[in-house]
Amino acid sequence: MVFSSLTFLFAYLPITLLLYFLVPLKWRNLVLLVESLFFYGWGEPVYITIMFVSILIDYTHGLLVEKYRYNDKKARWFVGQSVVFNLLLLGFFKYWDFLAANLSLLPGVNLPQLNIPLPIGISFFTFQTMSYTIDVYHRDAPAQRSIIRFGAFVTMFPQLIAGPIVKYKTVAEALDHRVNTAEDFALGARRFCVGLAKKVLLANAIGALWDAQLASAEAGTLTAAGGWLGLAAFGFQIYFDFSGYSDMAIGLGRIFGFRFLENFDYPYLSVSVTEFWRRWHMSLTSWFREYLYIPLGGNRGGTAKTLRNILIVWFCTGFWHGASWNFILWGLYFAAWLILEKYVLKGVLTKSPGWIKHLYTLLVVFVGWGIFAMEDLGVCGGYLAACFGGAPVWSAADGYTLKSYAATFLILAVASTTLGRRCWQWLPDKVKKVLTPVFMLLALALSTAYLVDGSYNPFLYFRF
Amino acid sequence: MTNAYSRFLSALFCLFLGGLLVWHVLLPDRVRSDVENRTLAQRPEFSWSALADGSYTEAVEEYFADQFPLRDQWTGLKARAEQAIGKTEFNGVYLCEGTLISKVEAPDEALVEKNLSYVRRLLEKTDANVYLGLIPSAAEIWQEALPAGAPSWDQTELLAAAAELGLPQVNLEGALAAHAGEPIFYRTDHHWTTLGAFYGANALLEAMGKEPLSREDFTPEIASENFNGTLYSQSGVHWLTPDTMEFWVEDTGLSVTSWRTGSPEPGSLYERSYLEQKDKYSAFLGGNQPLCVIKNEAVTDGSKILLVRDSYSDSLAPFLSQRFSEVHLLDLRYYRLPVAQYATENGIADIVVLYSIPNFITDKNLVFLAQ
Repeated sequence: MVFSSLTFLFAYLPITLLLYFLVPLKWRNLVLLVESLFFYGWGEPVYITIMFVSILIDYTHGLLVEKYRYNDKKARWFVGQSVVFNLLLLGFFKYWDFLAANLSLLPGVNLPQLNIPLPIGISFFTFQTMSYTIDVYHRDAPAQRSIIRFGAFVTMFPQLIAGPIVKYKTVAEALDHRVNTAEDFALGARRFCVGLAKKVLLANAIGALWDAQLASAEAGTLTAAGGWLGLAAFGFQIYFDFSGYSDMAIGLGRIFGFRFLENFDYPYLSVSVTEFWRRWHMSLTSWFREYLYIPLGGNRGGTAKTLRNILIVWFCTGFWHGASWNFILWGLYFAAWLILEKYVLKGVLTKSPGWIKHLYTLLVVFVGWGIFAMEDLGVCGGYLAACFGGAPVWSAADGYTLKSYAATFLILAVASTTLGRRCWQWLPDKVKKVLTPVFMLLALALSTAYLVDGSYNPFLYFRF
Repeated sequence: MTNAYSRFLSALFCLFLGGLLVWHVLLPDRVRSDVENRTLAQRPEFSWSALADGSYTEAVEEYFADQFPLRDQWTGLKARAEQAIGKTEFNGVYLCEGTLISKVEAPDEALVEKNLSYVRRLLEKTDANVYLGLIPSAAEIWQEALPAGAPSWDQTELLAAAAELGLPQVNLEGALAAHAGEPIFYRTDHHWTTLGAFYGANALLEAMGKEPLSREDFTPEIASENFNGTLYSQSGVHWLTPDTMEFWVEDTGLSVTSWRTGSPEPGSLYERSYLEQKDKYSAFLGGNQPLCVIKNEAVTDGSKILLVRDSYSDSLAPFLSQRFSEVHLLDLRYYRLPVAQYATENGIADIVVLYSIPNFITDKNLVFLAQ
């Protein structure tokens, strides 16, 4: 189930909230666990077993790590087991076919591709459970003794399928002792509405443009202007899709009494690629920094080691996004820019005016989206070539596209800045008090309209 | 945030979600949607195997969406919101100053080539004269009205390819283009109006060397002033003035026979019960059917014409009945016996393959022409 579906919004969520708040506090983790398992099982009835296995293994490993707290060798051994288990789980379901296909290119190797459907959210929950045993080992959090609470952490439906990646230590306290207040509920609901509108009204609207541009690239009619419009469309789509989803997750978490960390911080305002990655999908970058980059030695081992570590981390970051070469290329593309900024561009950038730095960053990031969006490297190359002069500059169809999407682009650009938030803060409290429910209802009603329209499927005898 | 205000916001949120859920549950399930012209998904049967393979949850989602309260109103709201941010295209339909025009996507070229070849094969199979009539849609005839630069496939490409076939063509493009300033297509439906069909009929008569019809011979009857067609449904643009539908030809002296179930039954030129429903265009001849024959006693020369056709011919056939003793209408979606054989058995000398271009380039039943 996804948050932006009619079934989730108008069946699962109201019933879930009702049950959760009907039962007394001490039962709420259990209710949340059962509800989350239902949520997961809805789309993946068979894969619910993976959830059970994952809970069981990481739960026991957490306890074992704590038990051998004073026997570091053994504790490390159990941390290692848990990490290996999670990576194997991820590796098998997500990467097997990719590895098999590529290794089979070597002479004498012939590995079968299994075509197993990818369990939803596996990239997220394996990372979360991995963080658990590591946090316990580092004494950042005590081991969880209750398997129900631990299960509620692993399966927690608000962040189960698309993040943010919630580290165990962030919610450890709330799992054991949380309070549910009306204010948390209201703020959570407000945040959810913002996220829903971002996903359904903004991301989906501009996504249609990207699809159209990609199709015209494949048909060979893409112009340079059309290519850039497409990249801009995709960049906005992925930002509003993903950050909208994170907003919904954070809002739902808040309703249930959890505080997740922020996942996006106006990334398109960044004035360097380095800054962009501090503001984009923060839960993932901080996960890699904390559990990979720093354990590898970070930047403390001299230039050569730092370079190696950056390359490893960005190879993994790219590969994490998908089992395909373009994602690896995308990760390394950013590694290259980050290294360049660190060692070469630093001086130039500090002297440049803000708007140049901003333009440079957006250019790098949006070209990056091109690599990210097109798994077929041949298509990707053709598309980017068109953007950089390998096609006519402009056509009448671009004029139509631009005119149709001008208002949408303007809204998206403004929504990517802090302008809206600053205007909101500038408003007197009384006005805000009146506008909040109005905006919430508007977001809900318009999103419903777009979702219903998406399921609207007139059978047109039309074709006759 | 005060506690009272928090409660108020929370209640608002819950009421919206929960309220629609309750409404959904209480609302009786509908069997079909007239606006969408299709049957709606019903509550699925539970089974463990359906759950395991994911088809059960999928069916529930479909059921939940299909039976959602105020479906049509939500769609209308979406179209309004799109209009507010400057969109002129609504689910593949352009809104052009009070007129809805359906966008034509570039076709699968292999299919187009095949369909043209089936027409040629019919020519080889039969001794009758075969004419090809391709009706350009509003997106071609009214392309000036489309939003500047708005993409729609160039339908004259098909006409050029058809001209290579070596059989007589009905110049419908010329006939319609000559009257582009008149209401020859509905504003909310993809079909031509009765006026458009009148010009189409004369183009056909001209191609066959028959005497054209004169407009003065008809007194149009207003059948409905409240016609919201397929484009109204598809686009969600619900705020246009409904179309007016006219009947020109009087049905006295005509006998209509419909083969809806495999055996002949008396039909009628105008099935007026449809005028009370959403699907008003089906009033012409009573809508889709495999085979329909209109006989006119007043035409005594025994001339017969066979139209292999789509629904555009429903409103065209009444005009042709004024010049032929018998008009046979055959719909290849439902009629699966050889066309050439039908013509021979019924002593028909002229066959017209008559399709609107958007249908001709996408239809997968033309293969039956070649049988």
